[in-house]
Amino acid sequence: MINTGVNKEFNMSAGIEKNPSKKSFKLSPYLYIGPHLILFTIFFLFPTLYGIYISFTNWDLIGAPEFVGFANYQEILFNQDSTFYDQLRTGLGNTFKFVLFTVPACIIVPLLLAAGLNAKPKGLKFFQALFYMPTLFSVSAVMIIFSMLFSVSFGPINHYLSVDTNWLATQPYSWIALVTVTVWWTIGANMIIYQAALNGISKDLYEAASIDGANSFQRFFRITLPSIRAQILYTVVITTISQFNVYGQPLMLTKGGPTSSTTVLLMYIQENAFGTGISIAGIGAAMAVILGLCIMVVSAIQFIFLRQRD
Amino acid sequence: MKKTGISKIVAFIFLLLMAFIWIVPVLYTSITSFKSEADIQTNAFTILPINWVIGNYQDVLFDNTSAPVAKWFMNSLIISVSQTILVLVIVSLAAYAYSRMKFKGRDAIFVFLMATMMFPAVVNLIPLYNIVDKLGWVNNYLAAIVPGAAGVFNIFLVRQFMKGIPMDFDESARVDGASDFQIFLKLILPLIKPVLTVVALFTFTASWNDFLWPSIVFNDVEKMPITPGLQLLQGMYALDVAHALTGALVAIVPTFILYLFTQKYFMESLSLSSGVKG
Repeated sequence: MINTGVNKEFNMSAGIEKNPSKKSFKLSPYLYIGPHLILFTIFFLFPTLYGIYISFTNWDLIGAPEFVGFANYQEILFNQDSTFYDQLRTGLGNTFKFVLFTVPACIIVPLLLAAGLNAKPKGLKFFQALFYMPTLFSVSAVMIIFSMLFSVSFGPINHYLSVDTNWLATQPYSWIALVTVTVWWTIGANMIIYQAALNGISKDLYEAASIDGANSFQRFFRITLPSIRAQILYTVVITTISQFNVYGQPLMLTKGGPTSSTTVLLMYIQENAFGTGISIAGIGAAMAVILGLCIMVVSAIQFIFLRQRD
Repeated sequence: MKKTGISKIVAFIFLLLMAFIWIVPVLYTSITSFKSEADIQTNAFTILPINWVIGNYQDVLFDNTSAPVAKWFMNSLIISVSQTILVLVIVSLAAYAYSRMKFKGRDAIFVFLMATMMFPAVVNLIPLYNIVDKLGWVNNYLAAIVPGAAGVFNIFLVRQFMKGIPMDFDESARVDGASDFQIFLKLILPLIKPVLTVVALFTFTASWNDFLWPSIVFNDVEKMPITPGLQLLQGMYALDVAHALTGALVAIVPTFILYLFTQKYFMESLSLSSGVKG
């Protein structure tokens, strides 16, 4: 009360400390990233590392995994008498076939659609919405629809083409059906990406080329393609990754047939680990690691992409 | 001028032909769902139903004996909405810290997270089942809700967007005495609504359409979401066109409606996530 000077000083320092005291209330940055990091560790990082470990073990998903070194890999890669060797050969082979058949189609078809849309015809918005729409549907719904469309006896495709092709159980029709369905279902995203890219190409380039006498073929290969090179590369990468994970289409449309000719590796992985009977999770995990390595090669390219943007 | 006129016509005809291929499966499904199975057996290929019936819907939705589609639908709704909310909260918090706060190890952690995006999800499938089983989540909604929120890509997306907001905003708010959390809640969140909308739409549809994972963690028919459920439905109605297609149609209605109202965001989001600017 008497010594006002001290009081003043005290008040002043209190005033200065107002900010630091508030700062002690501030949540640590780790509390912001914590919830995600916890989920990330439990449900992504740990199971990924554990999945690699499991591939070196004998495991039935219930007891403790028993370490067996490279035995699983030895079995599926080199033991020609093993059913798992056959499974890997068939499954990985069919997965690669699927990637090889679908990726080019899933680049070229949306590119053509985007080029068509880029001419700004009547009904642009409607066309765009229609081609994108199936992307929003689930694989199981789409496969039910197409299994009925391709049905031998009551399918409209056979009826209107006046044929009795067994689309889903004879080759090469099963592959044709799978590729058709996949294109119908998945090209939406790529189309929109190309559309945006094509929109960005300067009209002057085309006009200059026309004046120089370039025909539309030359214009496409000399101007259009080089201008959207980055988008093409990006879509090839993401499309390839997603097609390597193919599962639902052959499972529900062709049931992996005829005679395992469309059974993909993920179907064998699922069957070995979670199918009926005792789980052979170790073998399943080894197959998953091999499939994963194939995907990783492609993903590495995607990573470089995203880092460039960062 | 003449030239562009011709190319417009060529483009239109080409798109019209393609549109036919794209629209037929959807129209076929919608129309067939109103045909009675008896009509299909006798007159399979009339374009429109001879008698319009809604019996397929009643059967598929409320015949709870073997394929409880209405129950599956509700399960999916609960799962997808919950996961969307969880992802929005977790992602916006994390992206805020990675883009606007300074702390030890920030950039190292973020680069590490980005690098893990290369890890293929197929490798963690089997152990993830084991973890979820140990948590007692088999046949529990949580199994389909929580693990999906562990991804990194959305954080990357939101962080990119946040980096476009000038840091001056935060500085001036801080001078006015706002705490970090206030800045996040009152200043940043309203500004990142567009990217959060995109994250929400993509999370919802991805969750609704997820197939492999839920078909592993749900074996109780009552608890299952609709996407793996349809596989059972396909087995049940293998020779029953009308009912199978009705089930498929019910499953695609929610994402279809969502799409009708939010088309613009889906289109814009692709230029956001593809990142390579046109």
